Amino acid sequence: MTLSAVSLRGVAKTFSSGTEALAPTDLDIADGSFVAIVGPSGCGKSTLLRMIAGLAEATAGEVQRGDGAVGFVFQSPTLMPWATARENCALPLALTGSGSDAGDALARVGLAGFEGAYPHELSGGMQMRVSIARAMVTRPRLLLMDEPFAALDELTRFKLNDDLLTLWKQNRWTVVFVTHSIREAVFLAERVVVLSPRPGRIVADIAVALPDRAPGARLSHAFTDQCARVSAALEGAA
Amino acid sequence: MTRYLPPAAFGVFLLLAWEAAVRGAGVPAYIMPGPVAVLAALVNNAPDLLAGLAVTLEVTFAALALAVATGVLIAVALAASPVAERTFFPYAVFLQVTPIVTVAPFIIIWVSNIFAVLLILAWMAAVFPIISNTLLGLKSVDRNLKDLFRLYGASRAQTLWKLSLPSCLPYFLGGLRISGGLALIGTVVAEMVAGTSGTRSGLAGRLLEASYRLELATAFACFALLSASGLGIYALLQWLSRRLLRHWHESARDEQS
Ligand SMILES: Nc1ncnc2c1ncn2[C@@H]1O[C@H](COP(=O)(O)OP(=O)(O)OP(=O)(O)O)[C@@H](O)[C@H]1O
Ligand SMILES: [Mg+2]
Repeated sequence: MTLSAVSLRGVAKTFSSGTEALAPTDLDIADGSFVAIVGPSGCGKSTLLRMIAGLAEATAGEVQRGDGAVGFVFQSPTLMPWATARENCALPLALTGSGSDAGDALARVGLAGFEGAYPHELSGGMQMRVSIARAMVTRPRLLLMDEPFAALDELTRFKLNDDLLTLWKQNRWTVVFVTHSIREAVFLAERVVVLSPRPGRIVADIAVALPDRAPGARLSHAFTDQCARVSAALEGAA
Repeated sequence: MTRYLPPAAFGVFLLLAWEAAVRGAGVPAYIMPGPVAVLAALVNNAPDLLAGLAVTLEVTFAALALAVATGVLIAVALAASPVAERTFFPYAVFLQVTPIVTVAPFIIIWVSNIFAVLLILAWMAAVFPIISNTLLGLKSVDRNLKDLFRLYGASRAQTLWKLSLPSCLPYFLGGLRISGGLALIGTVVAEMVAGTSGTRSGLAGRLLEASYRLELATAFACFALLSASGLGIYALLQWLSRRLLRHWHESARDEQS
């Protein structure tokens, strides 16, 4: 058994408004794995991710996280509009005083030459890549991503999916990736966790066995089969 | 350039019509001077009027600077705790809705230094937009960015300097542009109420004096200088605001860029 990067024991969240967002949940995420979380809108995916990051308090249960830096990619780029791409990317360094070079991180997401650009001078996809570079700059052990590509067109999304997989293979960090897209989840992750409608419960935990994740894999029969399994689990829960 | 042509042409037309009307009707200069007479008064009394203008602008800018310093500090303090905001913000509103002419007599009795009197009154007129706009800006900081700062363990000081203050800059500058005009208006009203006179008096004091002596051309010259100063202050703050925001805020971006 591998070490857990994240371990949730009976974790639940009820907001002070009385909304029960997440039912008691157990989840172990192995170090170095890529896990996708899918579920209908409002089922508590963002809440779950924020609790893993320590940005929200669980109302019950226990959240444990392995050592090392955490990177968080929000659903929107969440850049400081008054700062350049480099300054945005270097923010975690300025705040924690440690990490790698911001220029280097930008180059890894294909933004070499745009270090001095302000967010409004970048396209939506480029802004998202700055946000991903910023999450990587502290060399996190754990990368939490909340529907990072939801607002993008399919072509850009595929491109960024491929880039993300490449980066993951290079760095072997643990990735928890929230998405609405079944196809995206199956393409990226080794394991897809399916949540029920609110309050979220884990209704399926599917290991994805795809031989290779080359860009063409999205057309293979194996891929469509896996998507069908996830889809069936989602519909069964609804 | 063509942007400025229509308003400039209209201005020239107004001045010409004014001069023509005054001459045509034969109105005496102590009732209604024409623009030529006003210009002559301006030139003849230039050293005197400019000295007055300097005094008025000195108070105006000192009050504005004080309003910025205290306004931002108060806004930061109020933003730090909802209890503080609920407790003290009503008093800031009180400051805003109180006409300063009604407070002036008290201030004049309590404070002997006339510069300090003018400064206090002008500050009262100018500080509220800074407080309310900065406070709004501080409370509108992007929630996700705040979370990001928390994730990386930012201290309160780091969050204030690197996140809260920069993101409230557009709001602050919006307040500053309003306050600039109010500081001048506050100074002028204060000068008139305080009844300053003599060589150390500001332009508003001189305007009053000139009108008492029926030197209406001189009074008009004072009026013209004060209006021009108001426009100048607005233009200056507008320029400052565009400069500070040009890289990132919608309000300062060129349409076609
Ligand atoms: N701060 C909050 N206060 C009260 N209720 C909240 C708060 N944040 C979220 N909720 C509620 O909790 C539930 C889960 O929200 P969450 O944002 O986790 O959903 P989600 O699965 O991420 O949805 P989506 O896919 O649409 O982003 C929702 O019903 C929402 O109304
Ligand atoms: Mg969400």
